[in-house]
Amino acid sequence: MEQLKEFYFFSEFLNRKVYHSAGETLGKIFDLVAERAEPYPLIIGMILRRNRKREAYLPWEKIQQIEPRLLCSEEGLEDPKTLHSQKEIIFLREEVLDKQIVDTYGAKVVRVNDLHFLRVDSRLRLVHVDVGFRGLMRRVGWERMMDKILQWLFSYVLPNQFISWKYVQLLSGSDLLQLSVSQKKLSHLHPADLADIIEDLSSRERSAIFRALDTEMAAETLEEIDPKIQKALIETIPVEKASDIMEEMSPSDAADLLADLPEERAEKILEGMEEKIAEDLRELLIHPEETAGGLMTTAYLHLPPETPVEAAMARLRAEAPHLDIVDYIYIVDEEEVLQGVVSIRDLLTAKSHQSLSEIKGPRVVSVKLDEDQKEVVEAFAKYGFRALPVVDEENHLKGVISFRSVLEVLAPDAG
Amino acid sequence: MSDYKKWISASKQSLWRTIGLFFLLMGPGIITSNVDNDAGGITTYSLAGAEFGLKLVWSLIPIMIALIVIQEMCARMGVVTGKGLSDLIREKFGAKVTFYLMIGMFLTNMGNAISNFAGVAAGMEIFGVEKFVSVPLSALLVWWMVVKGTYKTVEKAFLIACVFYLSYIITGILVKPDWAHVFEQLLHPQLSFQSSEITMLIGLVGTTIAPWMQFYLQASIVEKGIKIEEYKYARFDVITGSVVVHIVAFFIILVCAETLFKHGIRIETAKDAALSLKPLAGKYCTYLFAFGLVNASLFAASILPLSTTYLICEGLGWEVGIDKKFVEAPQFYGIYSLMIFLGAGVILYPEIPLIPIMYFSQVINGMVLPFVLIFMLLLINDKKLMMNYTNGPLFNFIAWATALLMIGFTLIFLFLMI
Repeated sequence: MEQLKEFYFFSEFLNRKVYHSAGETLGKIFDLVAERAEPYPLIIGMILRRNRKREAYLPWEKIQQIEPRLLCSEEGLEDPKTLHSQKEIIFLREEVLDKQIVDTYGAKVVRVNDLHFLRVDSRLRLVHVDVGFRGLMRRVGWERMMDKILQWLFSYVLPNQFISWKYVQLLSGSDLLQLSVSQKKLSHLHPADLADIIEDLSSRERSAIFRALDTEMAAETLEEIDPKIQKALIETIPVEKASDIMEEMSPSDAADLLADLPEERAEKILEGMEEKIAEDLRELLIHPEETAGGLMTTAYLHLPPETPVEAAMARLRAEAPHLDIVDYIYIVDEEEVLQGVVSIRDLLTAKSHQSLSEIKGPRVVSVKLDEDQKEVVEAFAKYGFRALPVVDEENHLKGVISFRSVLEVLAPDAG
Repeated sequence: MSDYKKWISASKQSLWRTIGLFFLLMGPGIITSNVDNDAGGITTYSLAGAEFGLKLVWSLIPIMIALIVIQEMCARMGVVTGKGLSDLIREKFGAKVTFYLMIGMFLTNMGNAISNFAGVAAGMEIFGVEKFVSVPLSALLVWWMVVKGTYKTVEKAFLIACVFYLSYIITGILVKPDWAHVFEQLLHPQLSFQSSEITMLIGLVGTTIAPWMQFYLQASIVEKGIKIEEYKYARFDVITGSVVVHIVAFFIILVCAETLFKHGIRIETAKDAALSLKPLAGKYCTYLFAFGLVNASLFAASILPLSTTYLICEGLGWEVGIDKKFVEAPQFYGIYSLMIFLGAGVILYPEIPLIPIMYFSQVINGMVLPFVLIFMLLLINDKKLMMNYTNGPLFNFIAWATALLMIGFTLIFLFLMI
């Protein structure tokens, strides 16, 4: 097969006629079949459409010549059904061409206009997907005309817009079933970007992607997703998995989500959780969403006043991975009454033998449980804290509001 | 709102639960159908009534059945696949077909946009407002709504504005028709195969079943995130919408038939219709008629360009969304601006031949529709895509019959034009 060009587009193959060595046509190319190989899939054959109903599979080795005419012998054709038993293959037209994919490098959902193959050792490998206008025009058959017009008018050549296959995550078919593959590709993405992408997809694709994520990534992504879609996603997965994921979420986000779910399901999810987390969430659920109590989280650090700085640092270091609030440590007595606040700056500048009560600030600002969220926002703006403690009528510490929750009140549609 | 939802899902009494769920899920079908009664629609119905009296009013019944069947298919596809119609067409039929279809969609909807701004101009002139004031103002209003992102609120406001379609029904009752005669006409189909009657019939079908509606309805259903278990409520919404739109159409034809046709007055536009009503039915009828026209035109002018832009960009894989910046989604903003400002600008051109423009847009409407219907039928009968929710034989029959009739009609129409 010396006649192979340096590179090919899918559009050059699509509907191209395949000839018998004797001269008559065998059929038209309907699809290309690729073997899943890292990083670039290898083309292993093509599906020919012989007439409206009949399809045949032509393995790459049986092709006698590609340029200038595609030739093969009648005996080279196989029954396409044999392909379906193989797992590691992709039907490029059925699963990739014209479909939406996730570009994990640019972090967005795009539509595939064409595919770009490169010759490697006399075989073709899929290296790029083309998502640009040039690819679209090539498919429509206007590429040369457009080139001439643009050249003549503006002396401009429209460039190709390629995305390397390394960064392509398919949304349908075999790719999503291959958990390890999608895990690796999706882990390029920041959870907030992945959340935006999931919001752009159809409900089927959403749950497919969501199921492919590991618990931690799923939790982080879920926190960033629009509440309406959050709810729909959680309802599509089994209760046990929902419990695992929501355990990993920030308690204030988890509580908001639970409040939106039907009571029965929320209760089942809570039952599946670790007891302590479930208890905290139940507590948070009591408070109406638009009050300080509805905004607060329970993942913060609180310590008795006599704790030495050294021990406080050690606790903070140990618990930081699970905390929503790491900027402050709250000082409470045995009755959980709020005594003071120590910031991480205070801790870093203090001597290690001092106790927390010695280094705490002279006064402490807090908000009441039933305070309206507007007042909370004002308090944040006024004092410039990164977090505010929430107390009940008797000054018992009930939770802490993070700046992030306030941002969600202020700009619910941003991000 | 969330409390309300919770109350509904907790409610044990099935009647309240059903009614509550319906109100939560209603909207897409009713809005789509009412946008359909835009300036072009009202003009066509007025002309039908003024020229032929009640002779063609029977055709509303088969048109309504066809509309229900087609809209139901869209709603079902939206619910089952969770994707828009242009998405599905692109994925099944490829780039080439989609590209040409999108060009067709752009042209028809450009025509529709122009006729809606013409409707605003005509309706406001009856209230004594010059078109040089009303058209730029309404174009800016529509543009501003999208840029400011308050589109969803606007949609709700318009849903309430649908109540103003009652103005046509009130006008219809005010002119005191002979009801026995009206129902006799409604139930006895007649057609004399004159070219003018055939043309009018094509106009009636074309204005009621428009290609863009299917895209818009499916997109709204997807947007609403209706689940398959809730589908029956969405179906009821679609049917209600189709019935309401035909009741309004019926009354417009009735008003014009009882007044203009009886006195032998010839009209050419909806504005003529409104003005000619004054001596025959009183000035309130004129105002009600004109008010309905302005409301309908503004409603359609704000929804149609945006939905067209969405469907084109989705089909061709361009970035969409009013939350994107211009550099992120240049095609989206480009097409949208072109539709609004070209649509409004054309109306401001002095002595513009509006009738040929509306005719032309109707022709392309009719030419694109059969393709859209055939695509829809192929999609909805695709087992892989729709699983157990493919069409039954009756639906397939009605939809195929509509598609074939439309092709036949369009061929006749083209033949008559030459």
